[in-house]
Amino acid sequence: MKTPDAVRKQNRAALALMLAALLLVGVFMSLPAYRFSAGVYTLKSANTFVGDEKYQQALEEVNAVAEEYREKGFDVSLEESVTERTNSKGEKTSLVAFTLNNSFTKNGWSFLGAGLNSSWVLLAMLLCLLLALACALAGSVSTVSEPYKALDGRAAAFRSAACWLLLAALLLLPVFFMMNTYTLSRRVLLYTGGVLTGGKEAFFAQLDAFLFGGIAGEEINGALKGLRFSAGAAMWLCLPCIFAMLLAAIQLRHGSVAHSLLRGMLYAFVIVLCLFILYPYYVMLVTAFRSSAETNDMYFLHVFPTEWKFSNLRDIISRGVPRYLLNSFLIAGGATLIALLCGIPAAYAMARMKFKGKKLFLGFVIMSQMFSPVVLLIGISQLMSALHLNDSILGLMLINAAFNQAFAIWLLRGTFVSISPEMEQAARIDGCTTMGSLLHILLPMAAPGIVTTLIFVFINSWNEYTISTVLISTAANRPITVGITQFSSFNMIEWQYLFAASLLATVPVVILFMCIEKHLTSGLTSGGVKG
Amino acid sequence: MNRTLEKKIEPYIWLLPSLILMAVFVVFPILIVFKLSFSEVSKSGLVGGFIGFKNFADAISLPAFKTVMLNTLYWVVSVVGLSTILGFVIAMVLNQKFRGRKIARAIVVFPWATSLVIQASVWNYIIKYEYGNLNNILLNLGIIKQAVNWRMSYQLEFIWECGVGIFVTIPFVTFCVLSGLQAIDNSLYEAAEIDGASFWNRLWHITIPLVKPSLTVSTVLNIIYVFNSFPIIYTMTKGAPSNKTDTLVTYLYMLNFYDRQKGPATALSVIGFLVLCLCAGIYMLGVMRKEDNG
Repeated sequence: MKTPDAVRKQNRAALALMLAALLLVGVFMSLPAYRFSAGVYTLKSANTFVGDEKYQQALEEVNAVAEEYREKGFDVSLEESVTERTNSKGEKTSLVAFTLNNSFTKNGWSFLGAGLNSSWVLLAMLLCLLLALACALAGSVSTVSEPYKALDGRAAAFRSAACWLLLAALLLLPVFFMMNTYTLSRRVLLYTGGVLTGGKEAFFAQLDAFLFGGIAGEEINGALKGLRFSAGAAMWLCLPCIFAMLLAAIQLRHGSVAHSLLRGMLYAFVIVLCLFILYPYYVMLVTAFRSSAETNDMYFLHVFPTEWKFSNLRDIISRGVPRYLLNSFLIAGGATLIALLCGIPAAYAMARMKFKGKKLFLGFVIMSQMFSPVVLLIGISQLMSALHLNDSILGLMLINAAFNQAFAIWLLRGTFVSISPEMEQAARIDGCTTMGSLLHILLPMAAPGIVTTLIFVFINSWNEYTISTVLISTAANRPITVGITQFSSFNMIEWQYLFAASLLATVPVVILFMCIEKHLTSGLTSGGVKG
Repeated sequence: MNRTLEKKIEPYIWLLPSLILMAVFVVFPILIVFKLSFSEVSKSGLVGGFIGFKNFADAISLPAFKTVMLNTLYWVVSVVGLSTILGFVIAMVLNQKFRGRKIARAIVVFPWATSLVIQASVWNYIIKYEYGNLNNILLNLGIIKQAVNWRMSYQLEFIWECGVGIFVTIPFVTFCVLSGLQAIDNSLYEAAEIDGASFWNRLWHITIPLVKPSLTVSTVLNIIYVFNSFPIIYTMTKGAPSNKTDTLVTYLYMLNFYDRQKGPATALSVIGFLVLCLCAGIYMLGVMRKEDNG
């Protein structure tokens, strides 16, 4: 237990650190670290050598333009680059390019009144910092030497608020920089290439006011061409300061930072992981509802489609997708039914009866679990054509059922073993047949395990692709996994249709899978192995 | 009929449907593949007489054989190895108590439930150079200044394929390990903490030994699944350029159904099958021994 004196000392140090870090942020904000540069004018002169008549002419021309800009108040500088090379006749040629650059720096404060989107983020961040300091002070004014665990509610709430505000500030800072890069480099680049109308004009007027004090006026389009923004240094200076403030605030709240840091890392890890896993699904979702032009547009800027094209769904419906979904449903449903009809009796015998060759059968089951049908593709396609089952939905049902048989028996046996046989024995004494006790007593009790198995086999069969591509040649018999490949031909892939169909094929099974997620793991490892 | 005889054959009747199903659709194809691999097979698939090991010799002398075998090795080792490590770490994290754990677990299961073709198509789009979503997002965030060609060379493409393989394999490992972790008695950790064991000590002496059985199951099953994985490579590169990104299964598919070299293709099938048998055998020995013990 720390003495009140030590606690007071520690808290004062934390508060002092916060204040110092905040002042440092203020200092870094005043640094002219935000650099903008744009090439306002370019002149290329071919067959020109440095110093010759043509060069002088071009230089005069450029200087005249530069003078015009300077008169208007721009601060332009001249840059020249010379490219020399030998042409096919062996003569030396040279190209001189003159560029008028308009580059300038600003400090962080100048963003505050600019009215840009990023300005509001910066403002929010600064407010968070100030409020955090205020909260930290308010939370420790009269309780500066109280032990951390016995803080009264108000002080604890204030100190916690400081932590959360600083966390928010820490996240807002990179957002501010990313928004600047986005607007100042990407959006301007696009807008200057296009026609200015409505909202774009307003955006440009704002930029003009911010960057040039309004002097660019009509020529803003030219003045912003190729605008580049860089301010990495400013961010890397401010981030550690805010982080130090956060640590100080945590220290103020809990008396130590290690635990909170670990928790923070845990949450950060989980959030990043989830975002990463969801990323392809996000891509699938938004691409499914984009127009064909947007899916192929490299400079497409938006996180979501500009216009949600639900007509994509209509288009794929007219291209056979409902049929494929139905086929998939029939194949997966049929396979599940067959797998369970054959699997339940087998699993029952394995769980409840003693017989010779039980171990052999178990070995066979485990072995057959190992063979994915892919290696046996050639054999399967031969067998199916011999049975006249190639290119038929029934054939796919049987194959899927057979290759999921091992897993079904595996999971079901585990479930049956975990249920005590006493009830069945009692029923048997009362004159119930084996079949009757299975149907009326065991199966209802094993329902959760059976549902898990059912869904698992269903999903496996629904997602199966390889065998179907080989066996199915008629378009009308394709399952959805094969059906979606029609949208990607050699010369062109219709991404929006591909993903719209994928979405329809994915959503139901992902939901089903989430339902059995809890049961599946226990079944997977303990069902067969522990038995 | 004799009651004892009835009692004796009853279990086999219960097994019969399952046995028939597996015999016809699993064992029979195996036999067919074996038979074909020792027979002369014409381009159109007509089966001729017995020719010994000629198909195997042909398969081994195929120009791409070595590349494909090495690729298969890289593919299996990198995907299984990395996804096991990552899956283990993720399982450890998801086993902690924190807010939103249920949601996180449900999200982690997503890639497992999605068809591989669909996953591969999405990633195919994401890493496109001209209009891929990854470039788009990174450009928008200002992290890169110019579009990056993520698939500049076939080595890079193969690495991406391995990446997608890892992405879809992680959930299975995670959930196998999680089920093992949940079975560990918490008092063990408490006792270790009282004894002053560090995090690494606890990991090494309590967690890993107790999770080992589930880790073994997931690793062996993964070796088999990954070895057999076809859609990712088939969708993303189709083995191009010139089989440099093929693994055994995609190669034998192309060989059999496109190049019409059916003889060597069946020989490769048998080779793949034997490799799987080896894995399955090792796994089965392990399981059987456990059955005896338990």
